[in-house]
Amino acid sequence: MLASDHHRMKLESNQQGIIFSFNGFISEGILFALGDALKKKMSQDDTDVCTMKRVFSVFVEQAQNIIRYSAETLAKAGQEANRISSGVITVGSEAGRFFVVCGNVMRREEALPLQARLEKIRNLDPAGIKAFYLDRIRNDPDPDSLGASLGLIEIARRASEPIQYDFLDIDELNTFYCMKVFI
Amino acid sequence: MENMFIPAMERSPEVDFRFLENRLSLRGEAYPEDPAAFFGPLLKRLSAHCEAIRGQELQVEFRLDYFNTSSAKALMNMIQILENAVRAGTRVTLRWCFQKDDEVMREFGEDFSMELEHVNFQLVEI
Repeated sequence: MLASDHHRMKLESNQQGIIFSFNGFISEGILFALGDALKKKMSQDDTDVCTMKRVFSVFVEQAQNIIRYSAETLAKAGQEANRISSGVITVGSEAGRFFVVCGNVMRREEALPLQARLEKIRNLDPAGIKAFYLDRIRNDPDPDSLGASLGLIEIARRASEPIQYDFLDIDELNTFYCMKVFI
Repeated sequence: MENMFIPAMERSPEVDFRFLENRLSLRGEAYPEDPAAFFGPLLKRLSAHCEAIRGQELQVEFRLDYFNTSSAKALMNMIQILENAVRAGTRVTLRWCFQKDDEVMREFGEDFSMELEHVNFQLVEI
């Protein structure tokens, strides 16, 4: 049972074109290690440089969003770099395109403003996304809000089609937030 | 003043700031775990140096392969410091180097150059 269960799980992942899928607490160190594996895999497959950079960038921004914004997070005061947060992050390829999916639990009251930001970005064309990026990087004086704005815009900028997102309320306080991006 | 040299690490770029030669270069990848801790001291030294060398010329080279959004913000701050320095009388040349075929870094160079009116900006394919 042990082998057959896990073999089935692995086969399903392989069939979905998954390069890796991580579920659990993620640290900056894990982000680095997964990113390293991702770069090596794409390099072995002779992925072109621009595609590699776009996929890597989306992966880093999504992983950092989990670390910073997941409601399931553990950190000691003053040790921000040691923060670990729970979420899922999956990278794969489907019909010749890479995709990155991330998901994490968040507070329901924080979901609404996030949804508004995502919807705004989704409705911009590439020129609009670029202009929005430049506006935020130039004028945003508050570095704390950057992850919530510039990161999402960067993700959309590297995507080959509008980003997909979804929310699932899981109890009175929390919602599960998920985003899928094709590069 | 002592020069500032930080070797490239796995996720932070080499910083080579030679005060007497008025040269600063950044090379490598930038997605440090703690962007404020990495870029904060550099931004301070850059501001102070620009003040100190009014009338002279500063040569800056960015040769970066990747940076995340927090680092992009820090780079934008550096660029704004350079532009302000020129307004205050320092001459500044900024070489933005990108690898052939690296459209992402080339486009970032173009984006950042839009912030510059007075800095002598060079977009260089290497």
